[in-house]
Amino acid sequence: MWCRPSLKAVFPNLRAGQRGGFSCGILFFAIAALVALTLPAAAAPKRVMSLNVCTDQLAMALAGPDQLTSVSFLAGDPDLSVMHKEASAYSKNRGLAEEVFLAQPDMVVTGTYSLHNTTALLKRLDFQVEEFPFTQTLESIPADIRRMGEILGREGRAERMATEFERELQSAENAACEPVPTAIAYDQNGVALGAGTLADSVLKAAGFRNLAAESGIHGMAPFPLELLVSLKPDVVIVPRSLSDAPSLADQIPRHPAIGALKESRIGTFVPRASWACGGPFTIEAVRALRTLRKDVAPCAEKTSALR
Amino acid sequence: MRGKDIGTSMKAIRLTLLLGALATLFFVLSLLIGPAELGIVKSIGGLFAGGDEAAMIIMREIRLPRAILALGVGFSLGISGAVLQGFLRNPLAEPGIIGVSAVASLGAVSTFYTGIAGASLFALPAGALGGALVAVLVLLAIAARHGSTLTLILAGIALTSLAGALTSLILNLSPNPFASYEIIFWLLGSIKDRSMEHVWLALPLMIAGWILIAFAARAIDALSLGEEAASSLGVSMAHTRILIVAGVALCVGAGTAVTGAIGFVGLVVPHLIRPLTDRMPSNLLLPSGLGGAALLLAADIAVRVVVPGRELNIGVVTALIGAPFFLWLVIRARREMF
Repeated sequence: MWCRPSLKAVFPNLRAGQRGGFSCGILFFAIAALVALTLPAAAAPKRVMSLNVCTDQLAMALAGPDQLTSVSFLAGDPDLSVMHKEASAYSKNRGLAEEVFLAQPDMVVTGTYSLHNTTALLKRLDFQVEEFPFTQTLESIPADIRRMGEILGREGRAERMATEFERELQSAENAACEPVPTAIAYDQNGVALGAGTLADSVLKAAGFRNLAAESGIHGMAPFPLELLVSLKPDVVIVPRSLSDAPSLADQIPRHPAIGALKESRIGTFVPRASWACGGPFTIEAVRALRTLRKDVAPCAEKTSALR
Repeated sequence: MRGKDIGTSMKAIRLTLLLGALATLFFVLSLLIGPAELGIVKSIGGLFAGGDEAAMIIMREIRLPRAILALGVGFSLGISGAVLQGFLRNPLAEPGIIGVSAVASLGAVSTFYTGIAGASLFALPAGALGGALVAVLVLLAIAARHGSTLTLILAGIALTSLAGALTSLILNLSPNPFASYEIIFWLLGSIKDRSMEHVWLALPLMIAGWILIAFAARAIDALSLGEEAASSLGVSMAHTRILIVAGVALCVGAGTAVTGAIGFVGLVVPHLIRPLTDRMPSNLLLPSGLGGAALLLAADIAVRVVVPGRELNIGVVTALIGAPFFLWLVIRARREMF
C-alpha cells in the first residue's frame, strides 16, 4: 500500500511520482532485509515523520538512529517541548502536507487534536498515518508509549519506559496521605486547568485537590480572579511567560491580588513544558509536585489517635 | 455670561450634583458586583476594615481598581468629547470617532509588545500618550485647514482604520502566542482584572488632562462666538489649542493605555447632557465628565451581569449604545454635512 499507484494517477506530471516509485523500491528492500534480520519484529518503518509536538517527543524518545527524519518546528520550543535539545538534531517541518509529500516518509505520526485537513489529505494520498489523541490523563501515557513503540518497531524500549512510568505512578499513588492540600493551576489570561486536563491528573497523582475541577471547570476555562482569591488555595501554579515578548495575558497570573494571599504558595513549580504533552517526562511534573506537596502539607502520622 | 440669572446657575449646580450622585451610585454598585458574591456587609468590611483576608483582597485589589478605572476613563472620555465638540464646533467630534483612541492603542501596542521597554507596564502609557498626541495634532491640523465637519470625521475614520490595522499587524507578528488574542482588547477595550498598578499608572495622568481641559473652558466659550470675536476678547487660539491637545492626549492616552480603546462614550454623553445645560460649552465640561463616568460604570456593570461568567468587552456595550446614536446624529446633521 506504500507504493501508492494512485499517486501517479493524481499527480501524473510530478517528478515526485517517480520518487514515490523509488522509495517504494527501497522500502521493499528494507522490508526484506528486516524480515531476514529480525523475524519477530514487523516491518519497522525506516523513514518516520512526526507532525505534532507531542508525537515528536514520544518518537524522539523511542526511535532508533536515523529512523526519525523530521519533527515539527514546535519540538524545538522549550516552552512546549521538554526534549527541545534533542530536537535540534532533527530537521523541522511545519506540519504541511506538501512537506510530507516531498519527504516521502513511510510513516507519519501526528495528533488528532490538530491539522485535521492535513491528516485527511495525507491519508487520501495513501500515506501511512498514525494519529495520537491529545493526552488528558497520566494513566493513558504508558499506552501511548507502547503504541509508539509498536509503530516504530521498538517494543522492547517502549515496554521498559512504560513499565518504569507505571511503577513511579503507582508509588505516587501509594504515598497518598492526609491532609490533602489544595491547588489551582492558573494560566495566562486567567484560564484555569480544570477536570479532564493532564494538569488535573498530575495534581491528583501528586496528592493535591484541584480546586478548579472541584469548582466545576472542565478542560481549560476562564476562572474569575475573585473566585481564586476567595478559595484561598494552598498552592497557585502560575505559568512561565511563553515568550520573551510581553503580552497582557501573562499579567493576569501575576495580578497583585494573587500575591496578596499570604497563606498561599505561588510559583511555577512544574518543570518547564513537562505537562504540555503527555510523555515519559510528564512524571517529572508529578515528582516536582510531590516534593512541593510534602513541603506544603506534610503527611499526618498514620498512627495518630485522632484518625 | 455675567448677566446670567441665579436660576440658571442653580440649574447647572443641580445638574452637576445629580450626575455626581448617579456616578457615585454606579461606583458603589460596581464595587458590590462580582463572581465572589460577597454580600454588602462583607464587601464594605473588606474595603474599609480589613478583617476577612479574601474579602479584603477582592475589594481592594480587584474591585476597587476596576471601579476607579471605569470612573476615571469614563470621565476622561466624557470631558474630552465635550471639549472637542466645543472647540472644533463639530457635533460628531469624539476621541473614538476621530481616531484618538485608536492611535493611542497603536502607540501602546507598538511600545509594549515589541518589548522595547521590557515587560514594563510603563511602556503602555508612554506609547499611548505618544499615539494620542500624534492623533490630536494631525486632526487639529486637518481641522485648521479644512473647517468642514465631514473632512474631520473622514480623516478620523481613515486614522482609526489605519491604526486598527497596524495594531492588528503588530499583535499578529508578536512571537508571543497570546498577543493575537489581545487584538480584541485593544480595539474594543475592557476593564477586567486590572490592578491598582494600572490605577497609579493612569489616574495621575488623567487628572492632569482634566485640569488642562478645565483651563481651556473660558476660551471655548469665547470661541463659540467665532474665532475673530474670541481674539477680540483676548483669547489666544494657539494657547487654547495647546491646552486642549495636551489635555485630550493625556486623559484619553492614559485611559486607553490601561483599558484599550473604548468608543462612543465621548459622543453620546455631551449630546445627552447639552439640552439640560445653558448650551455654553464650558458648562458642559464637568457634567459631561460625570455623565461619562456614570455611563462607563453602568456599562461595566452590564458586561458583568448580562452574561455571568463570560465577560463581554466593554467597547461592545458602548458601541451598542453609541453606534445607533451616531447614525441618528449623522442623519439629522446630513443637510449640514453634504
